[in-house]
Amino acid sequence: MNGILVAKFTTFIRKPWMFLLFTTMSIIFALILGTSGGMTSISVPVYGSSNIQESFIGKSLEKNDVYTFNWMTEKEMLDLIADGKSEVGVIVKEDDFQLVVGVESTNAQMVEQTIHDIYAKKLQQEKLFEEVEAQTDSEKQLLDEEYKTAMDSPVFTMKTSNFSSSEAFVYDNETHFLFGFTLFFVIYTIAYNVLPILLEKKEGIWDRMILSPVRKTEMYIANLVYSFFEGYLQVLIIFLVFHFWIGVDFQGRFLEAVLLLIPYVFAVVSLSIFITACVKNAQQFNAVLPIVAVSMAMIGGAYWPIEIVESEVLLALSKINPLTYGMEALNGMVVYGYPLEEVLLPISILVLMGVVLMGLGIHLMERRHV
Amino acid sequence: MLELVDSTKSFKKVKAVKKLNMFIEKGEIVGLLGPNGAGKSTAISMLSSLMEPTSGDVRYCNKSILKNPAPLRKILGMVPQEIALYEDLTAIENLQFFGRLYRMKGKELQRKIDVILELIGLTDHRKDIVKKFSGGMKRRLNIGVALLHDPEVIIMDEPTVGIDPQSRNYILETVKRLNEERQMTVLYTSHYMEEVEFLCDRIYIMDKGNLIASGTKQEIKQILSAENTISIKADRWNDAFIASIESSPTIHRIKVEEKEITIVVPKEVNMFSELAKMAEQAGLELRSIDINSPTLEDVFLHLTGRALRD
Ligand SMILES: Nc1ncnc2c1ncn2[C@@H]1O[C@H](COP(=O)(O)OP(=O)(O)O)[C@@H](O)[C@H]1O
Ligand SMILES: [Mg+2]
Repeated sequence: MNGILVAKFTTFIRKPWMFLLFTTMSIIFALILGTSGGMTSISVPVYGSSNIQESFIGKSLEKNDVYTFNWMTEKEMLDLIADGKSEVGVIVKEDDFQLVVGVESTNAQMVEQTIHDIYAKKLQQEKLFEEVEAQTDSEKQLLDEEYKTAMDSPVFTMKTSNFSSSEAFVYDNETHFLFGFTLFFVIYTIAYNVLPILLEKKEGIWDRMILSPVRKTEMYIANLVYSFFEGYLQVLIIFLVFHFWIGVDFQGRFLEAVLLLIPYVFAVVSLSIFITACVKNAQQFNAVLPIVAVSMAMIGGAYWPIEIVESEVLLALSKINPLTYGMEALNGMVVYGYPLEEVLLPISILVLMGVVLMGLGIHLMERRHV
Repeated sequence: MLELVDSTKSFKKVKAVKKLNMFIEKGEIVGLLGPNGAGKSTAISMLSSLMEPTSGDVRYCNKSILKNPAPLRKILGMVPQEIALYEDLTAIENLQFFGRLYRMKGKELQRKIDVILELIGLTDHRKDIVKKFSGGMKRRLNIGVALLHDPEVIIMDEPTVGIDPQSRNYILETVKRLNEERQMTVLYTSHYMEEVEFLCDRIYIMDKGNLIASGTKQEIKQILSAENTISIKADRWNDAFIASIESSPTIHRIKVEEKEITIVVPKEVNMFSELAKMAEQAGLELRSIDINSPTLEDVFLHLTGRALRD
């Protein structure tokens, strides 16, 4: 087994190009898309009096992460919508708001939900003030401050992560693309490290090993350990570069994020084995891999948040996609700040997928040969 | 010592080997001859315990190896049809890799590697990356790797495909030396009959999964004893001439090449005058007509009606 690993590592050192290429690609893509702002902040035209702009409502709109609300006159807004440049616009008033919908879309619904939540919060705040019957202005101010501190450090928080409560849908551009492209490109690195099994079988290197005293399990373990190593090295390098060089802070959970990649890399190694076992030759492999990798990235939320995906079929598919769970775990921990226990589910699913796909893959490979 | 007993191997679409019986005794060089797709590789995969026969048995020293291939594997060296080497490693690194698989190490492995490099004539290239090797050098290393653990039996699957004549002769001489000096038992697969004729004491000829002839060189050529092989040479052929040869009742087998036609006829028939007449009628000028002593190629032509290498 050590012999096999030595041969693999020597080959790696002599030909690291593929590895370096995919590593740099992940970094470059994550950098370009992550810092350009790109698709995250969808801009929504909004009209309201200057009073409103200064009020709680106005401030809340401006603070929103998902949408950039642009103040403008009513006419400008209507023009934008009439020209089809914006899907939806908003007119906000003191106690009420009005949606101007150009194209009926999820965004329209999401914007409505977002604003609705803001008004609900305002109402809640006002109710609270009424309840305690705050009399003077100074008392009111004091209460207001206390309310704010209370909201910032709640006794208990309820986290709802379904889509209708859009405040839970935090979307952090930089980390999102970092995770997305890291998880995407490492599929290639790993798969191209598993592929040699197929070639070695065809050429007879594998036969030579079978005839030698080396055991089958050793042969598989050596190959898997090596593929895992190279995949993990890649994601580690990318995360290190972003953490220490570019300065992404991972909300102080760098170590955990790096550990979270272990089950993901494992699952992808297994997936690669499975694909390798299903194809007949390297040509087929080269044809199938991009299809699998790109669709995994698309429906798994590597390019855009999975929350955007609507189709039932795609959502169902995303449930058997390791990348979905990889993103879920990483986002859950780094972006939403969940404790480790909260991301145990995606982690266990990744491990389970890894075990199942590996079992199936090796079984298929063994049967194919005889 | 090593034998296939009624071994059949079926794949989904084809029966690659049909009820093949074949044996190799200690110290022999046995040839397995046949065109591409005859089932040679499949047959030796079964013999070397890499593939289980669909039916039938594989025996080593009278014991089936299907359940327990270990004793055979210990004494077996295998040269696969493809170049089974790590292209990005050097010759030495490849030998080290495969040596370690056989649990050799340190000084012992080093000594062994030096001997092998000398034997296959790659000592000067031992530190070169295999990818840069010529076809012949790769083939030589492919053989060298199989000799590392001093096998008693070596099975070679078309070890000279696609290489220059020098390398080819070198390999043939090396195989002969291994057999003569170290009493190594050899099963040599090829679709070049000259190689098999040069090397082998006994020969099996396969076609389409069937054994079509077997025995010593002399025995196989006996098949043709009642017939002569005649080769006719000319600068080119015309249809009329070929048509009259094809319609001749005394001519059994025909192989047409660019400048040579080979025919098989019964010994008692005198073809000279007849062929001359045919050529004259067809308006064709012949260069020569020779009666050849039969080769294995002729045997194959005789048995199958096809040339060995189509
Ligand atoms: N693994 C396999 N799966 C399916 N068919 C095979 C396989 N190996 C060989 N064959 C088929 O069996 C026949 C014999 O092949 P092979 O033993 O490689 O012939 P040879 O070595 O004489 O050229 C061919 O028709 C080939 O296509
Ligand atoms: Mg073959």
